[in-house]
Amino acid sequence: MYGNLSIVEPLNTEEREDPERVAEFEERIARGEKIEPGDWMPREYRRQVLRMVEQHAHSEIIGALPEGTWITRAPGFKRKLALMAKVQDEVGHAQLLYSAAETLGKPREQMINDLLSGKAKYSNVFNYPALTWADTAIIAWLIDAAAIINQTLNSKGSYGPYARALERICKEEAFHLKYGYDNVVTLASGTKRQRQMLQEALNRWWKPIMHFFGPPDSMSVHSEKLLRWKVKMASNDEMRQMFLDAYVPKIWELGLTIPDPKLRKNPETGKWEYSDPDWDEFWRVINGNGPCNRERLAVRRTADELGAWVRRALLKPNGRYVAPLF
Amino acid sequence: MGGMWHLSSELAGSGMSAPRTVTIQSLDPRINRLRIPAELPEFTPKPMLDEWEPYEVFWKEKPGDQPVHVGTVRAPNPEMALVLAKEGYCRRGKTYTIWIVRTADIYTFSPDDTDIFATVPEKTYREPDAYKVVQKILRLKRQQQRERSSEEGE
Amino acid sequence: MTVLPVELQPALKDLLYRMADDALILGHRHSEWTGLGPILEEDIAFSSIAQDKIGHAYALYQPLHELGEPDPDRIAFFRDAPDFRCCHLVEYPNGGYDFSLMRHLLFDVAEQWRYHLLESSRYEPLARLARKVRGEIKYHVFHATQWVIQLGARGTEESHQRMQQALERVFPLALGIFEVTPYDELLAAEGIFPGERVLQERWLETISSVIEQATLQLPDPQTVVPAYGGRRGIHTEYLQPLLDEMGEVIRSEPDAEW
Repeated sequence: MYGNLSIVEPLNTEEREDPERVAEFEERIARGEKIEPGDWMPREYRRQVLRMVEQHAHSEIIGALPEGTWITRAPGFKRKLALMAKVQDEVGHAQLLYSAAETLGKPREQMINDLLSGKAKYSNVFNYPALTWADTAIIAWLIDAAAIINQTLNSKGSYGPYARALERICKEEAFHLKYGYDNVVTLASGTKRQRQMLQEALNRWWKPIMHFFGPPDSMSVHSEKLLRWKVKMASNDEMRQMFLDAYVPKIWELGLTIPDPKLRKNPETGKWEYSDPDWDEFWRVINGNGPCNRERLAVRRTADELGAWVRRALLKPNGRYVAPLF
Repeated sequence: MGGMWHLSSELAGSGMSAPRTVTIQSLDPRINRLRIPAELPEFTPKPMLDEWEPYEVFWKEKPGDQPVHVGTVRAPNPEMALVLAKEGYCRRGKTYTIWIVRTADIYTFSPDDTDIFATVPEKTYREPDAYKVVQKILRLKRQQQRERSSEEGE
Repeated sequence: MTVLPVELQPALKDLLYRMADDALILGHRHSEWTGLGPILEEDIAFSSIAQDKIGHAYALYQPLHELGEPDPDRIAFFRDAPDFRCCHLVEYPNGGYDFSLMRHLLFDVAEQWRYHLLESSRYEPLARLARKVRGEIKYHVFHATQWVIQLGARGTEESHQRMQQALERVFPLALGIFEVTPYDELLAAEGIFPGERVLQERWLETISSVIEQATLQLPDPQTVVPAYGGRRGIHTEYLQPLLDEMGEVIRSEPDAEW
């Protein structure tokens, strides 16, 4: 699961590159060729893809925590097994994505160091708490749905290892989405308390969901080159519209209320209109001041420390690091 | 002894003698059991190879299949790479077997040298399409027919 | 299909409860590592093992249901500690990875032998299940064995010591797996299960060999006090809080679908 954060690092346009090689590179991408590790690429392309894949990997590993909150309390065998398998998949995705990112020249150890030191960013949405069981249902359905939109688009992107990782990830997330939907529908058709629990969870998650694809295009700059390089495959607003198109009717169908009185599809423009989802809060959370930023970081550090003796025990001091092939 | 004797010493100290620190209050009971101090300790970066070496994983879905490269795992040695790759890459669907090999032991061409595979198109003598045997057989048959009919005419 | 006499039912149910409760509680404990494991790859592997265990519990609660007990969700999520028949070994909180791995090894070697012996059981549902889960349990034992040997014999002084301490802590608990029940003789006589004494002998042989390969010292079984009681419904202080936690959501609306 991953949201679009391309805004956090503006494109560096100052970098000087050999214009002939850049032209050749852009022709390859225009022809639909994939860029493979070791191929020549503009430094800025490498930097942007690495940042994106790395943030995606961090998002998966941190994303395991809000849903993990309910692993020991999932109601019944079916839910317990499915939630375990889902959180396991998120960890698996982190593992795949770190490998894909490593092919761009940054070892996994350095990426994890950047995560644990608080330097690296990850998807904002995981800095919110999963207060009740219904929150996990909303996460599994709607956050995964949003992530799938983003990931399906990006799996057509230009960087080979990332595209391949995403293909595998999208296949797995299809189960997450179905599980989440089933979970939400069950609660929506359940007792009064279950329905209330679900509605309250939706109320809590709507804002983070609106934040998920990143700030509006009017606030993002420099994304044109990223689109041309097929690093980004659609703008933040385009993806948000795709999500609203696909899921708002499904949410309404269940008799749930979306906590935004202004939300409507403008019949003339064909676009969804909505209230300002408080972009100041988005920036606050990205900069470390969300409800769970501190806890997420502390838990990751603790988990890393708990396993340190295991890793140390089998560490080969004269081992040789090479980037994985992918 | 309190209920926390099982926690490793890095975290909770040993049982009753552990100093009472303010811990993170989480919604996750698992996290609360870890008793994580609310004040983050100083962060020490992990050294290189802390997560072990990369191994490549090759997968066969069923007997008779060619192995396919499916990805990579970090592992301290080949035995552990097998243990760890199994669930990483085979937890869904069918698998016949997997192979693993240390990434450092794989040799390939430098990306700059991939033009080494560009070969001139004239080498048709090793392509099946270059051999138009059917037409030759037809010609041969026509010739045989002509020869037979001229023999009969004699 | 062999028709088993009704008088056998209490013995059969007891066997099924012991096995299922062990698998459920240990699977639950293992699942607590999800997302918190020592390395990503191991996190994934261990989660699969946890899922398998919970799957085995589910598969064992089904024949119980057919024998007249409530359905699997009801059995697993609504009973309180005195009604559980698991051994103390599975109840303890995870602690460090040393404890979890050693418990995993000692438990799964017993599981492998138990299911192996059950493959020829006259009780067909168990014999069938034993054949079905053979591959999964084999992986569990492979995983556990590799880890314990590596950390014991091929790791550092620190990991060797940790594994030795874990072994000393886990061993008496593991002996509690084999607590003899009043039904053992009947189950053996009827060709259903040869009994805990037989199981413990086989187990000890395998464990001794693995522990030796791990260069660790196995405590003398004669000098340790086995942690008995679980099979009679007497449990550690850790079980009831675990059950409360596991049932928190489902018990909040006991008749609802979740």
